Amino acid sequence: MSSSKGVNDRSISLFPEPYRPDATPYKVKDFHASVRNLASSNKTGSIGLQMSKCIVVGDVAVGKTCLVNRFCNEVFDKDYKATIGVDFEVERFEILNTPFNLQIWDTAGQERFKCIAAAYYRGAHVVIIVFDLTDKFTLEHAEVWHAEAVKEMKEAAFLFLVGTKKDICEEREFKEMEEKAVKLAKKLDAEFWAVSSLTNENVEHFFCRVASMAFNDVMKKSQEDETDGKATKKVIAADSSLISLKPETGAKDDEKKSCCSS
Amino acid sequence: MNSLEKAVTQQIMRERKNSEREEMVNAILPWDKFSQWLHCICVVTFDLELGQALEFIYPSHIKLSDKEKMNICYLSFPDSNSGCMGDTQFNFRIRQTSGKVNHHLLVRRKEYDRNSPVILQSDPAHLFGFVYFRQVKDKSSRRGYFQKSVVLLSRLPYINLFTELVELIAPEFFDKGEELIEAACHDIDQWSNPVPGDTLQLPIMGTVLQVKIPAKGDIKIGALGIARDAVPQPMGSPLTVVPSLHAVETFMCLQPVLPHIQLLWELVLTNEPLVVMGPSPGITCGTVHALINTISPLKYMTDYRPYFTIHDSEFKEYTTRTQGPPPVILGVTNPFFAKTLQHWPHIVRIGESIHAFLDKSKANKPKKPGSLKTLESKPGVYTQYKSFLSKDKTIQKRLAKGIQTRRPYEVQDAMLRRYLLELTQSFMFSLERYVTSLMPLQRNISPWKHPPRLKAFDIEEFLRTVEHSGPQLTSGLKGDWESLYRRFFKSANFQGWFQNREEEINQKLLLLHLEALSEADLLKWCNEREEVEVVDLVLKLRERLNDITERNLPVKPELIQKLHQGTESIIRSLPEDLRGVLEK
Repeated sequence: MSSSKGVNDRSISLFPEPYRPDATPYKVKDFHASVRNLASSNKTGSIGLQMSKCIVVGDVAVGKTCLVNRFCNEVFDKDYKATIGVDFEVERFEILNTPFNLQIWDTAGQERFKCIAAAYYRGAHVVIIVFDLTDKFTLEHAEVWHAEAVKEMKEAAFLFLVGTKKDICEEREFKEMEEKAVKLAKKLDAEFWAVSSLTNENVEHFFCRVASMAFNDVMKKSQEDETDGKATKKVIAADSSLISLKPETGAKDDEKKSCCSS
Repeated sequence: MNSLEKAVTQQIMRERKNSEREEMVNAILPWDKFSQWLHCICVVTFDLELGQALEFIYPSHIKLSDKEKMNICYLSFPDSNSGCMGDTQFNFRIRQTSGKVNHHLLVRRKEYDRNSPVILQSDPAHLFGFVYFRQVKDKSSRRGYFQKSVVLLSRLPYINLFTELVELIAPEFFDKGEELIEAACHDIDQWSNPVPGDTLQLPIMGTVLQVKIPAKGDIKIGALGIARDAVPQPMGSPLTVVPSLHAVETFMCLQPVLPHIQLLWELVLTNEPLVVMGPSPGITCGTVHALINTISPLKYMTDYRPYFTIHDSEFKEYTTRTQGPPPVILGVTNPFFAKTLQHWPHIVRIGESIHAFLDKSKANKPKKPGSLKTLESKPGVYTQYKSFLSKDKTIQKRLAKGIQTRRPYEVQDAMLRRYLLELTQSFMFSLERYVTSLMPLQRNISPWKHPPRLKAFDIEEFLRTVEHSGPQLTSGLKGDWESLYRRFFKSANFQGWFQNREEEINQKLLLLHLEALSEADLLKWCNEREEVEVVDLVLKLRERLNDITERNLPVKPELIQKLHQGTESIIRSLPEDLRGVLEK
């Protein structure tokens, strides 16, 4: 899976906008002031490596793996190969000059693997429900995936509804599907996106939005913990071991890729 | 085609062949990554007709021999019907009797072993089994019980990591079914190869385990502690740091026999036959691993079985009375062994609750082996062995005080490990120094001679050095060190250690010699020699190049190229008839 993995971190400094302002429950427009403060004080790397877990679900053959591969490995493989169980990728970001890892758990859409998904939902910070813009049924079924996620998750997570294969969707068909999807997104309290893994349309933008929202949240929480004073030590202890154990991050930083920022 | 062109073509062909070979090694096939970590996962169930039976093996292309299957089946369940209700974890070790390993796996394994501390090297002849056994009431079953085990098999002695791994997988499997094992195996097939020195993040069932693979020389006092995170990670954290691949909780496991810790250390060091009798497989395997670890960083070279049953295929071999007991360590739970192994010289008996043990007066003296008739006998060490070294009262007092003041286990553990490590290092230090004195001098390495080798180990010569600069200088322990050394020299632990050192040193000498060769002015030397000497040099050069591939020496490609070029240019300088012969 990681044969042609890009080694450059993606760097983000501006908070990415949603696909459609009218199709998102998340009204955040910028990184929280306290997060910016914390990040700018991080010259010494004192915050440590932050990370978030993101799980990708949806019907069989809607293009979950293609979406993840397009973003993480910058490839599009036309041949369909069913995912067994769950594929795993870690994408490195540098947000407000702070290193951030997004774990992406790409699940199998096959019915027989449905029973195992619960184990993988645990602790997810972001849930991405994927459907096929050319297949109404997969959109309708998104509601079932949503119910499943809600049932298994103990903590709140950011929710995204992503329509794929935008490139092979005719315009009229697309308009119709988009309208339906926006409606469903509102109902589920999810943010809607339409993307194409083949042409790379919106893929980069979408994941940067996901990462930024997750990062904003994680940093805010870790700061709240700090001001609370209670859990401070926990966070620092866990993170400090992380940063000391990852000496290779520094070496590869020479050439940073810029995305979603100008 | 002139000879230069020919040489160039040959060089290109050789390079192409090398790169093809490399590509073959680098290509990743399904299950390649998985196989670097695990051999397979088995599920063993209790069948009303058959008894213990293998329900399935994953990945399904893995073939186990009948003997292996039988051993796995028996070792995955408690041996005696001693309860074990609920969930139990333990591990075992069996002889591997099946399967050829594909070439490319072998190459990687060799490379891993070369850079790994000896105690973490992969086991070429055995498989470790990590068991998670569940026994609960189940009305739907005819027997009234649900009894099933998930077993991870591996060649790597990552006791701690795989114990945690099976603990993650098994309960979910009992809940969700076979697909979960399939998915878990797929997760593991995405893990990076275990490369010594690397810190890896291993995705498994929705969480990520972070482990550091120790490199050679990493096993030091600091790295030895289990350092079980004093701060638990927050629930649902996307990352779990596994502090050690292999460490077991030495203090906790050896607490019942703490007063005899030095005696046990001597027994383990000298490969004495030792049996650990305990009430459950969990307890015996903890104790056996802790015993093996007392001599770390030395590797225990003979067989050991953290859990051994009467059904084991080696049962006869190990319990026969026609020969003396074999130099192995066995962990057993079946009361039957109390009788079968009565003749064994050293028996460690561990009770049910290994936590509460403060009865000093009775525990201080080793008991006579004859007094052990049944498994109901009192906990303790049953032996007539007299320690060579006098008892270190300081460590005993410190640990006892820790128990009284309820010092945290981690601290006690670190204290005990440190003590044992220093004891082992004091013992080994004189040996290491002596071996260094067997090294040839740098000036004896000449490109025109054979690579020098380590001189032979002379026991008497070594013991003479002990008299004036032995372990008594660093350890402060009094006693008969010389006799302990003599006993150690007869053991497999010594043989293994020395062989290992010898190989390492000889390899290093080979490398130094190769460097000297590559830096020498070969042509100039040849100009001043007879033809026959020159031919001899060409043959030697070829032999060295052969060494590199055969022994898989870690040599820079530039050096190999330099030697190739050197050989070619010598050949080119020779008269045509000779050239023809040599170029074949």
